[in-house]
Amino acid sequence: MTSLASSGCAVQVLDCGDSAVRVTVNDQDRHVSWRIVHGLAALLRQTQAPGVQAILPTYDSLLVEFDCAATDHTAIRAEVVGLTDQLDSLPVRTPRTFRVPVCYGGEYGPDLTTVAGLFGLTPSEVIALHTAEPLLIRCFGSPAGAPMMDGPRFPAPVPRLASPRALVSAGAVAVAGRQAVVSACPAPGGWQVLGRTPLSLVDPHREPIAPYLPGDSLRFHSIAAADFEAEQGMLA
Amino acid sequence: MSENVTVTRPGISAVTDLGRSAGGAVGQMSGGALDQYSARVANALVASHPRAPLVELVAADFAALTSVNLLVAVTGAPADVSVAGVPMPQWEPFWWPAGTELAVTSLRQGLRVYLAVHGEVQAPLLLGSCAPDSVLGFSGPLRRMDEIGVEPGPLRLQDAVLGSPVVRGAARPMRFAEHWRIPVTDGPDRDQFGSSAERLHEGRFVISTTSNHVGLRLRPDASASLPARERTDEVLSRGVPIGAVEVPAGDELLVLHRGRGVTAGYPVLAVVTATGLSRLGQARPGHSVEFVRVTLAEAVAAARAERALIDGVSSRMTRLLSAQTSYRPGDESPATHRVAS
Repeated sequence: MTSLASSGCAVQVLDCGDSAVRVTVNDQDRHVSWRIVHGLAALLRQTQAPGVQAILPTYDSLLVEFDCAATDHTAIRAEVVGLTDQLDSLPVRTPRTFRVPVCYGGEYGPDLTTVAGLFGLTPSEVIALHTAEPLLIRCFGSPAGAPMMDGPRFPAPVPRLASPRALVSAGAVAVAGRQAVVSACPAPGGWQVLGRTPLSLVDPHREPIAPYLPGDSLRFHSIAAADFEAEQGMLA
Repeated sequence: MSENVTVTRPGISAVTDLGRSAGGAVGQMSGGALDQYSARVANALVASHPRAPLVELVAADFAALTSVNLLVAVTGAPADVSVAGVPMPQWEPFWWPAGTELAVTSLRQGLRVYLAVHGEVQAPLLLGSCAPDSVLGFSGPLRRMDEIGVEPGPLRLQDAVLGSPVVRGAARPMRFAEHWRIPVTDGPDRDQFGSSAERLHEGRFVISTTSNHVGLRLRPDASASLPARERTDEVLSRGVPIGAVEVPAGDELLVLHRGRGVTAGYPVLAVVTATGLSRLGQARPGHSVEFVRVTLAEAVAAARAERALIDGVSSRMTRLLSAQTSYRPGDESPATHRVAS
């Protein structure tokens, strides 16, 4: 592993209203930026700086929300900049890979044939690419903490739907741009839906409410529509 | 002995608190009281913990019966508040005697009313907060005949006289209007809007009926026009602050509030200040908004001044209530925030 502390990347702290700052990291290697962003988030959580309320790391940035009656932008900025020296001291967590069954195409994946058509592939070839290797979870997304992943190795970015759907089911397995996602709850959506997993991703009555973390991966595999009900349960 | 408040007319109400800040780390919305000022003042007036559960009412009439004498406070939008038919003040603590009905009717000018209790309001917790999350399906609106568990605080006046306020809380009520001047600071992506960013501060924007706890949608009125992005490069998903002012495709501004998804890919033009967000939690569809540009220092100073006022009410009420009860010396928090899971 390369040293993060010495990567010499630019860490920028931008004011984001009276109760938050946005920290952006601009390394030439986007993977390094992502590792630094999540490293800083982990360090900030460890230090439990007074007044800090929420830390939201995504790809090249993290949002730090705080109570401005208890702390201020200057203190948070100093805290973040101070932590960049400690990035290499973080314990390394062993990432997990979750197996995710998916019913591709048909009523479960209404956009499978469209995506195949875009690339001049057959639906089976699209499924083969989507299941070829584990997809890395970069961050929690909206709504409900959906896993935002690097997309499969498609020949080109996937365009979004011209007109978003009013409702996409929980468990929908979708792609857009160079990204992939599984919906954690029913919501409107403009991504191309390739299939659906019978597994539930989040449950407010479990601790933790979702089993995955950024850095983990999802490995998809194809199941028959007849097996959809039998495979229902929680992602674990 | 378990005491409770029984909801007889739920209207649109829920048990909530200041929100689930711990949820952000796992991608969950904050939620909680949309008017944090009124919610904080309500708990301060009954010397309860700032994060103690309380009832939030939205727009519609509400009524409930209590099985036990309670010291309560009602803040937020102007409304007709009564106990057993006797009018009660808002923004002051008052007694709600056992066996009587408290009613909040005819909400006007604003949208939300808060009812706080001296003592413990029992509510299930998720990640340290009882705030409902409609996306996750956690908790939800109160229904008729729901029972909310309550444990009265240490103050128990045996001779509680119906309707007599025990002390003056000296809280400052929020000012309500049909036209709101809402302070905003520049957002981190303001430069993406070029000179059109100025349009946010020129003219008025009208709140549309599709607004809710996720966010407010506003249309420019005849005096205003929408800012427009000058760059259209794809923005990577980022954490977005509560209060973010965005300009999605279409003819409306979007101001995200406490029920927002925590990440999004839209540039943030401006951010409504902490004090402004409480006011937007009260603004009704049809009301107009003027976004007043302020500096970060001004916004922080306003938030601190407001919090100092609330802290003043809280310590004053704690002192006054403690003086009236056989309080344990050295215990400075009469309303210890214990909540059953």
